[in-house]
Amino acid sequence: MKAYFSAFRMRWKMELQYRGAVIGGVLCQIFFGLVLVAVYRALYLGNPQTGMRLSNITTYVWLQQAFFRMLLSSDPELMDKIRTGGIAYELCRPVQLYGFYYARITAQKLMGSLLRAAPMLLFAALLPEGWGISLPASLPALLLAACGVMLGLLCVSAMECISMGFTMRTLDFRGVYALMNLLMATFAGNILPLTLFPDSWQRAITLLPYAQMLDTSIRLYTGAYALSQAPAALLIQAVWIVLLVSLGLALWARNQKKLIVQGG
Amino acid sequence: MSYIAVEALNKAFTVRKKREKGRLLREKSTVQALKDVSFSIEQGELVGYIGPNGAGKSTTVKILSGILTPDGGSVTVGSRVPWKERKEHVRHIGVVFGQRTQLWWDVPILDSFSLLKDIYRVPREAYEKRLEALTEALQLTDLLRTPLRLLSLGQRMRAELCGSLLHGPELLFLDEPTIGLDAVSKLALREFLQKENRENGTTILLTTHDMEDIAALCPRVMVLGHGQKLYDGALTDLLARYDTDRVMTVRLGGDLPPLPPCCQVQRDGENARITYSPEQLPTADLITLLQAAGPLREMTIQGQNVDRLIAAMYREMDL
Amino acid sequence: MDTVKFYLRSMKMQLKCQLQYPASFLLQTLAQLVMEGGEMLAVILIVDRFDHLNQWTAGDLYFFFGIMSVTFYLTECFGRGVTGSFPSMVRSGQLDTLLLRPRGVLTQVICWAIDPRRIACIAVGTAALVMGSRMAAVQWTFLKALALIEAMAMGGILILGLFLIEGIFTIRSVKSVELVNALTYGGRSACEYPIDVYPRPLRVLFTVIAPFALTLQCPAAYILGKPLYGWPDWAAFVTPLSGLVSFSALYLLFQHAMRHYRSTGS
Repeated sequence: MKAYFSAFRMRWKMELQYRGAVIGGVLCQIFFGLVLVAVYRALYLGNPQTGMRLSNITTYVWLQQAFFRMLLSSDPELMDKIRTGGIAYELCRPVQLYGFYYARITAQKLMGSLLRAAPMLLFAALLPEGWGISLPASLPALLLAACGVMLGLLCVSAMECISMGFTMRTLDFRGVYALMNLLMATFAGNILPLTLFPDSWQRAITLLPYAQMLDTSIRLYTGAYALSQAPAALLIQAVWIVLLVSLGLALWARNQKKLIVQGG
Repeated sequence: MSYIAVEALNKAFTVRKKREKGRLLREKSTVQALKDVSFSIEQGELVGYIGPNGAGKSTTVKILSGILTPDGGSVTVGSRVPWKERKEHVRHIGVVFGQRTQLWWDVPILDSFSLLKDIYRVPREAYEKRLEALTEALQLTDLLRTPLRLLSLGQRMRAELCGSLLHGPELLFLDEPTIGLDAVSKLALREFLQKENRENGTTILLTTHDMEDIAALCPRVMVLGHGQKLYDGALTDLLARYDTDRVMTVRLGGDLPPLPPCCQVQRDGENARITYSPEQLPTADLITLLQAAGPLREMTIQGQNVDRLIAAMYREMDL
Repeated sequence: MDTVKFYLRSMKMQLKCQLQYPASFLLQTLAQLVMEGGEMLAVILIVDRFDHLNQWTAGDLYFFFGIMSVTFYLTECFGRGVTGSFPSMVRSGQLDTLLLRPRGVLTQVICWAIDPRRIACIAVGTAALVMGSRMAAVQWTFLKALALIEAMAMGGILILGLFLIEGIFTIRSVKSVELVNALTYGGRSACEYPIDVYPRPLRVLFTVIAPFALTLQCPAAYILGKPLYGWPDWAAFVTPLSGLVSFSALYLLFQHAMRHYRSTGS
């Protein structure tokens, strides 16, 4: 437990060291947020939608931008190890590698996105109504959304471990990785809020693992999911976490076994 | 006027320090890489350029080849100012950085050469003639279809040399060309450079830490330290100034006689190593002394290792 | 002529290198297809839900998306050396090698790399362009074709110029890559939609500072028969020249920065 804690702290220090890059990244993300909000505003003013308020969409955009970092792959060191083949040595060791890297990736994502989300959300809160982020639907909604973000984080990390697992096998990391990441951008709602997808699609899309990462929490926050729907939404997240983690575990274990057999 | 004329050359770099705690702005400091350096080199000379790390050797070469712009002073190479007429200038020079490749990594070296031909606008006939001569001299003929990444270090260096000589430069800069090479490759490379200098009249400026390269190739050396020129002249004169001691190894029939205090004696079984200075005790006198004590069975006299001399020199010049 | 020959030979060599690993190449191209396909999907879904954006119909929106996408990725494909290789060459000191050759630095940098994977993005963009032109029922004339070509050429030159900024920053060892991205990649994302949907500060940014609106959108609007801001037709042929102006200014800055290049490493 202490080891995990110090991993968190190290990451925090590292993030602070590159504060120039962090500030640049945040400004850039804010800029993208403004552009998107402007487009959706123009769309809304031209053709007001029933059943969905503009402020919900802008809130969606800002929350996506703020936690965008969470979706990105976050462990360049591990990637390097895989590319250079150094991972083979680690896989040969009789330790639970999956757990170690899962914790590490989660820590990196959490630290990276918290550091960026705070200033961005502050900025978005200062924008006028119809541009910025609005208050949560209710206090319970906020708390449920926070739970959702945590579950979403566990879900993204499990997903990343799976793509890492595939990468170790094919060694052609860029292709597989890019594909996984790109599906993520589209179906996690980063390119277009999932709430704007055709209603008929939404039923299926919200069940995909990608939607569990941020979309669920945002819907809880804005009240698109009523409090009565919350347990079901959180349950879906939990189910995906269990599924993705067990898949990842199996994949890593197989990689490890295969390497040991070959490594003789 | 000399072929290369360098007059009061100055170059400084600003270095940004790491930000200290509690300060908003990073501090800057200036490092004077070259301080009023002047020299001239005639066409066809083979000059060694030495000095400890960070002395400003690379900076000089980069200014002479037009990569860097100096802060002050004047430089002409064959009446051209390198950084002002870069494109025209580099057409006439060749540069080999020992630790940086100028060929393409993934393709056969012949493809690299042929692209260099286009870059330098070398006419086809001249290129083919030159390529044949160079590949033969550098023993590259069998390697032309091999990608650079599959070549050994020695082969790679030969390929680099070939690439930098294809356009028939009148001036060649070599930066650590023999670094990491085995003895055979080193000797072959030196021989090639001598031949290139002799037959094509190519002026060569050689930067290196390998004193054997200098001793074998360069009649003239320049020593640089802390950005200033410290010595310019024949290597032998330089060595003579610091090369004062000799080591005599002898095997005597009898016991070693008492020697004057200026001699240091080291025993090694039957052998004795006597370090002495011929200025204080002429070699003939030493031999007479030894012979008086018994039959002199074996004797060798050695000068000191060149590297040690240079180290002694750097120490004395306070580098 | 001689430079063109040099360029073609370099490209041949680059392609040879890249195709040494065909599986990886295919997979990466596929990834590009998914990426740009996703962006395109977003526009389609927006049209599906909102039908129109101000006075712009579905066809108009596809056309704007397509012209930006094709121009941007063509530039990225052939300007790979400027955006990808150059900054790392400056940092590693490899740029020295280029300076030792009797050719312009920018020429050599452009010859240094090509990114054929972008062909997937260009294909998506072309599809959007054709779809948009059909749906908006564009009556193609010689002048309109000319306007399209001029727009893409000038837009490409503008983007190449913007890519130079990262190079300039790298030479001056300023580390603000993210902010430069806001201008280039942000400009691409923003100007996939017509400029007049944005509030004034963004309009100024993409009209005066990074004139995507002038180089790409003014001619596009002319082709669609709905002149931007009601400007006369000749504006569609004059305003794109601003791309050349921006590039020239940035190129001068680049040349100036090159004089301060301090080759690192020994």
